This record gives sequence, C-alpha cells and structure tokens, in this order.
Amino acid sequence: MSHDTATETASNSIAFENVTKVYDDGTEAVTDVSFSVSSGETATLVGPSGCGKTTTMKMVNALVEPTTGTVSVDETPVSEYDPIELRRKVGYVIQDIGLFKHMTIEENVGIVPDIVGWSDDRIENRVTELLELVRLDDDVRTKYPQELSGGQQQRVGVARALAAEPEVMLMDEPFGALDPITREQLQNEFLDIQAGLDVTIVFVTHDIDEALKMGDKVAVLQDGELIQYDPPAELLRNPNNAFVESFLGEDRQLAQLQTVAVREVMGPANEAPTNDGGTPLSPDDTLRLAVQNWLRSETDVVPVVEDGTVVGSLSEVHIRSIFDGRSRAIEENHV
Amino acid sequence: MFEPAVGSAVEAAIPLLLTGWIEYILENPDQFAVMLREHLQMVVIGVTAAIAVAVPAGIAATRHPTVGSAVMNMGAIAQTVPPLGVIALTFAFLGVGPRPAILALFLYGLLPILKNTVAGIQNVESAQVEAGRGMGMTSLQRLWRIELPLALPVIIAGIRTTIVLSVGIAYLGAFIGAGGLGQWIILGQQRYANEILLAGAIPGAILVILLDQAFGWLGARIGPTESSADDRTQTTVA
Ligand SMILES: Nc1ncnc2c1ncn2[C@@H]1O[C@H](COP(=O)(O)OP(=O)(O)O)[C@@H](O)[C@H]1O
Ligand SMILES: [Mg+2]
Repeated sequence: MSHDTATETASNSIAFENVTKVYDDGTEAVTDVSFSVSSGETATLVGPSGCGKTTTMKMVNALVEPTTGTVSVDETPVSEYDPIELRRKVGYVIQDIGLFKHMTIEENVGIVPDIVGWSDDRIENRVTELLELVRLDDDVRTKYPQELSGGQQQRVGVARALAAEPEVMLMDEPFGALDPITREQLQNEFLDIQAGLDVTIVFVTHDIDEALKMGDKVAVLQDGELIQYDPPAELLRNPNNAFVESFLGEDRQLAQLQTVAVREVMGPANEAPTNDGGTPLSPDDTLRLAVQNWLRSETDVVPVVEDGTVVGSLSEVHIRSIFDGRSRAIEENHV
Repeated sequence: MFEPAVGSAVEAAIPLLLTGWIEYILENPDQFAVMLREHLQMVVIGVTAAIAVAVPAGIAATRHPTVGSAVMNMGAIAQTVPPLGVIALTFAFLGVGPRPAILALFLYGLLPILKNTVAGIQNVESAQVEAGRGMGMTSLQRLWRIELPLALPVIIAGIRTTIVLSVGIAYLGAFIGAGGLGQWIILGQQRYANEILLAGAIPGAILVILLDQAFGWLGARIGPTESSADDRTQTTVA
C-alpha cells in the first residue's frame, strides 16, 4: 500500500472525462464520470452491485464504448486505439475468474503471449516466472482450472493478466468469490507483487475495506455517479455525503486509524517523556498500532523514536486530531 | 394363430436362426467383404460430405442470425423427405449406383450435425467468450481457441447421431444398385432365407454399436475434463 503523494506528478495513465454510458436498452449505467489515475497508481472503484463499476472499467479496454465523453489511456483516447491491440496491452482479471475451462493452467497463463506471437520457449519461461510470482507450485501447469481451489484459480487469473507485461491492469472483483481468509492472503500478496511492478491498476470491488486497503485512491460510485474520489485517509476523514458515510460503515474511525501514520499527527519531540517504559513508536507505524500502545502506556504522552532518537511525541490530542478539521493543517505542516 | 406346438418349434429354431447367418458369412467371405466395403464407403463419403457442409454452415449460422434461421430451416426440410423418396428422385438424375444413395445419406446427415454445431457454439458460456475478447482475441481466434473446442463434444455427438442413422439408411442403397449389406436383405427375402437376411442385418447392427461406442469414447476424451470435487488437488492454498 503506497498512499504517498509523490506519484501525483506522474502522467495520467487513465483518464475519464465526463463519461456517460447508456446501454441499448436505455439503462444509464454511468453518468458524467470524471477522474484520472496516475501512472503506477491503483484506483479502486467501489459501490453496491449494479452501480456501474464493471461498465466503467470495461470502457478502459474498449469492451464498452462510452455514449458521451472520453476515456484515455496514456493520454490517448481509447477510440483512437485498435481495440484488439489495446486489449492485448491491458491486463484483465475478469469477474468470476473466467479461466478457459478447456485449457491447462499453462495454456491459460500463456494465452496472451501466445496470441501476440511470442516463441514457445519464451512463453514457457514466462509461465514459470509468473507461477512463482503468484506462489503456485509448478506442477499445476498441466492441470485444468476445475482441478484447482478457488484461491488457486484466482492466482492463475492474476498471473494470466500479468503475462504480457501490461502497463495497465483491470481487475474486476478479483477476490470476490473467496473466503475471507484466502481473500486477505491474496490481497496482501497482491500488494507485494504490485509494489514490484510499474503498473497502473483499476480495481473493482463491492467491499469498502478491500477498496481502502488496495487503493491509492478510492472512487465511490452510486447509481452510475461518482460520488467521491479521494485517497483512503481523506475519504474516511471527510466523507462527501451521507451515502459515502454509511457505505464506509460504523467502524470508519477504526479504519481511519489504519490509514494514518504516526508521523502525520505527532507533536514535537520536546514534549515526549524521557522515560516511558513502554515500547516506543516508530513514525511509520499506523495510528491504529499507536492507539494500542498508547492505551497500554503508563503515561499520557508516548515518545516517537526513529533510529534511536526521539523525533516526536504522541498524545490523545494528536490521535483525536484526525477526526476533526485540524488534522489537515497538521498534515500540511509535515508533508 | 400360433398353436403352442408351433410356438415351441419357433423357440427350437431360434438357436439355428442365430448361428445360420454366421455360417452364411463364412461361406461367402468375399461377397461379404465387398458388401461391407460398399456399405462403409457410402456411409463415410455421405457423412464426410455432411460434416464438411454442416459444420461450417452451423458456424456461419451462429455468426449471422438471419443466415442461421435460413440454414436451420433448410436442414429441417431435408430431414422431412423420406430417404427412399430422395433416392427415388435423385436416381432419375444420377442414375443407378452409389451416387443417389450417397446424396441421400448426405442430406440426412446434415441436420443432426448442423443442429449440434449451432447448439454447441451457442451454449458456450458467454463469460468464456467475453474473457477471450477482453484478452484481445480476434473473432477468429475466439472461434478457434474458445468456441469450437468448447462446442466440440456436442458437435461430435451430432456426428455420432448422423453415422448411426447413415448405417441404417445405406441399406436402401441395394435397391438402386449401390451395393452394400442391403443386398443380402433383398436376397434373403426373395429366398425366404432368414440366415441370409440376418447375415446382412446383424453386421450392420454390430457396426452401429461399435461406431456409437467409438464416438462416445472420442467425445468424452475431447471434452473439457470434468473432474469431480473430490479429486481436486490442494497445493499451495487450501
Ligand atoms: N450489456 C448491458 N446491457 C444493458 N444493461 C447493462 C449491461 N451491462 C450492465 N448493464 C446494467 O448497467 C448497470 C451497471 O452494471 P455494472 O456496470 O455491471 O455494475 P456493477 O459492476 O457495479 O455491478 C446495471 O443496472 C446493469 O444491469
Ligand atoms: Mg460488476
């Protein structure tokens, strides 16, 4: 998870400008949506079923054509690409996995390299590399999708989407069909994988926790409209309206603690007690961990230590600051 | 009509009936081989021609809905003409010999293959085709790599039906000088000789069973592996 703001100077890899989609039957699935995803960032699209997430995502790889407005990839409108070429460059993890039943895992993973004409040797090496990346045993190669567990199939889906080294990846509820434990495991692994790649991702989910966890920015959709598009911390801090607030859930304060680093809210070092006795905090710890330490601590103020030196202090005031307007002023001072 | 005594006489004759035909074949091996070859030749040529026409027509039908219904109607009409009628009609143009028989076999073979090709392709899950589209496959690649392989077991089932049907229809070839196992049926009837009649009929029935089995096996081999839940393997992730 990299919620840093450093990537914001990068070019827009994906951009939606006033995009509306009305299907032939008159269903208005997406209404006047505008947002952009910087190169290397992950944007999560979240909202209840039927709110237009899949439709929005499919306009990126020309599976759905916007009725009005423009979708651009790498600053070029999608309509100017050859759709076949574009789709081969954009990795796609399909809702409900969509592995080809009649093909082995090896054939599934190697399908895009195969249709774009890689040599057999190169495909074979790439498949080996990808199976390792998504932590699957090499002996699944010759198996069929039906012979794998749901979690394994999902890994294959991710490997297949990554096969031709895409710069843009679309993931439609990739972990939606999994049990909570497997899902969390795959989320964490995917964050690891993604950290090692330079890929711009649009990630669709109906699970707000997943959206907050996986996204550098979160787009909340309701009835085809984009209600809010912000980094997770900002979304939790300042939900735009009652819908977003209710969607974030009762426990949004807890979720919020997870998104803020101690560094962002801590007070000056000279306020820190000299001898606290408890475990010192690191500036990169999340506030959630900090609250736990703070509750266990003997004193009201906990020191924040980096490389052996006290760099700040944390008290209840600092923790509470994220829930009111002051947090922004504090954040701006530190960033 | 049948007195009990006559009934038991029939029963007593059954073993004789059942063995007499084998002896007849063994006594006339060369003639049998020729007829079997003629019979198979009609079936193979007729069915191959039907496959060659019906599979592409079926594919075309799934690409264009209007072509589709036209093609299906033609196939259905071909099926309603009785085989003997086709033979009688075409016999006038094509003369005596195997050609009118092959034409009849071809026309009869069309519909099952056509129907199954269309149904097989239409029943491929749309998610599978959509996945191919999202992956950047051209429509031809989707056809070759997704739709046809997934539809193949159903198409093979259509071919199987056609072959079984054709082995039976090919018996009619004997009436117009096309040869085949039907010749012994005619001969057997003329001579009131059941063993000759059976020597013609039973090999056909055996042929049907063998071909049916072979195609059933082929269809199962080619179809996507449907493994049951309990032989799922668990490697890295539970
Ligand atoms: N091909 C289509 N034709 C007509 N309506 C569609 C089509 N695809 C989706 N819709 C409708 O558009 C709306 C948004 O669908 P979708 O983008 O799939 O939502 P989500 O992915 O958020 O569940 C829904 O009302 C859905 O029924
Ligand atoms: Mg969807």
